[in-house]
Amino acid sequence: MKRATKKKIKKVLFWFVVIFVFVYLIFPFYWALNSSFKTENQLMMTPATFIPRDTQGNFAPTFDNYKSVFTNPTFLRAILNSTLVGGITTLLSLIIGSFSAFALGKLRFKGKRLFLYLVLSMTMFPQVTVLAGLYAVINTLNMSATLSMILSYMIFTLPFTTWVLTAFFKELPVEIMQSAQVDGATAFQTFYHILMPLTAPAMVTTGLLAFIAAWNEYLFALTFTSIETQARTIPVAISLFTGQIARQEPFGEIMAGAVIVTIPVVVLVLIFQKKIVAGLTAGAVKG
Amino acid sequence: MGKTPKGNILKNEQSLAYKLLIPTLVVLAIVAIYPLGQVVVTSFTNRVFASNQETKFVGFDNYARLLGVTFKVLEPKTDKNSGEIIKDEKTGAIVYESSISVLPRTPNRYKELFQFNWFGKRIVVGARDREFLVAVGNTLVFTVFSVLLETIIGLFLALVVNSNFKGKGLMRTTMLIPWAVITVVSARIWEWMLQPGTAGFFNMIMFRLGLSDGQASFLTNSALQMPTMVAVDVWKTAPYMALLILAGLQMIPKELYEASEVDGASKIRQFFQITLPLLKPSLAVALIFRTLDALRVFDVFQVLMSSKMYSMASYNYFQLIQNRNMGLSSAVGMIIFILIGIFSIIYIRSFGVDQS
Repeated sequence: MKRATKKKIKKVLFWFVVIFVFVYLIFPFYWALNSSFKTENQLMMTPATFIPRDTQGNFAPTFDNYKSVFTNPTFLRAILNSTLVGGITTLLSLIIGSFSAFALGKLRFKGKRLFLYLVLSMTMFPQVTVLAGLYAVINTLNMSATLSMILSYMIFTLPFTTWVLTAFFKELPVEIMQSAQVDGATAFQTFYHILMPLTAPAMVTTGLLAFIAAWNEYLFALTFTSIETQARTIPVAISLFTGQIARQEPFGEIMAGAVIVTIPVVVLVLIFQKKIVAGLTAGAVKG
Repeated sequence: MGKTPKGNILKNEQSLAYKLLIPTLVVLAIVAIYPLGQVVVTSFTNRVFASNQETKFVGFDNYARLLGVTFKVLEPKTDKNSGEIIKDEKTGAIVYESSISVLPRTPNRYKELFQFNWFGKRIVVGARDREFLVAVGNTLVFTVFSVLLETIIGLFLALVVNSNFKGKGLMRTTMLIPWAVITVVSARIWEWMLQPGTAGFFNMIMFRLGLSDGQASFLTNSALQMPTMVAVDVWKTAPYMALLILAGLQMIPKELYEASEVDGASKIRQFFQITLPLLKPSLAVALIFRTLDALRVFDVFQVLMSSKMYSMASYNYFQLIQNRNMGLSSAVGMIIFILIGIFSIIYIRSFGVDQS
């Protein structure tokens, strides 16, 4: 009897903890969602309410914030820019990264270790350190803001893809390669026709993580688009969000924007949940 | 091996490998190696960002300006007539001269950083670039507290998710949400939640619970700024830490727990005798990653604080873009780089990560 109650208390306590953790993780996002459905007046209502309410206390959501965000050309442009920059960065990092990952994972050559460390060290130094130097390079080459972002994002996406894909290539059995060689295939053919399709699942995960990293990036985007403002990506656009009319910060619209740009990423994350966890930990633990 | 067919294969393999590495090397050379070299050189010049002004080599001037500190003894204030030392009427503490009177002004002006007592003397520390040193201090404090809290909360999260219960999958998925939200976006969400007055969530909750008058200004009150920044960062990155720790937890063989259960060890004892020691390698890696990330923190500081409080990286940004002082900002970058290098070496040595 006593033991049973003790067990029950433990169970209740455990669920209490679980629910607390759940709320802690999800709440800021919920608050953004809640605020995005409020009018200016509802936002200023004190004390703040957990759902949009009118003065009588009835549930009264508004879609005005979403309407104005979706008719805001700067914001729409930013979504397009981010998609473009993130997509191209990811694609390039996957292609270039898989080349070197194949060499590192499956070929025998001198200086392998040195190269691996060189690539690793690229992720170690702070982005802000190269900012000034990178800007000088971009000015000299007269690159557009979009191209500068794509290229500079590879500082962090390329080492990552190289690194994770190397681990995947390593795990592929050597026999596949050998049998292909016996059939007279060149190493490149082996890579292109046999290894690439086999690593497709790994490519998807790694690509997704690289895309999220590029989608998130702020420092380079802020700097490189400071003159070419039409190239601004989502993080920059949201950080500078002031609405169409200069007035107090339009938090309702900012929250609507936040919800809109978060949902696609969250959906992607939910779909690839298991693979992301594997990819993140592979990337980290092998470092 | 030489001319045997096997030797040829090896040679072919090697040349193919080098060809495959070329694209990566070219990209890294353009975006990382060359700019890094450029930063080293620029840090010794007075180069102005985006201008045609002639650049001159200035040696270590930028570094001297950033790191220049001076120590001066402050004399107690004395009464002009009696020559007696003035004491505070309420506390009885000695009143000292203002620090402006002792800190040098030419050729370089020093601003007060802080004061301390040493062998009965009052010492004032002056800095040539107070804002930078304050930014370094801020970043270090931020790093220590955020990484510490993230580790504890991350470990806690990982243990919860690792235990068996219904809805475990849902929980694990939820854990990824803070990580997936764009940092700048989450910073703005937090900014909104932290609004002064009860229109902000935190003030509303504290007011409702009777903990405060609901008027705390989290982002402008200097006592609340740092805790706020740490809290915002912890929410975003503790789940990431939890993931890394979770990976380590799952590698611990179940048999160990079963065996110790047979021995009658309590859960708490199991945690300290099995979980923690075996978790050390994954914890070490997670710690390194997070510490390096925290040292270069930029987004949250730039969005929530802008010029109210700097981190090293946001100060660097300020010098480059607002002041267009490229030489100085390069020197800031170099100092950050060196600091992070020192941290990495200390970590790797003390955890023995490179042993394996």
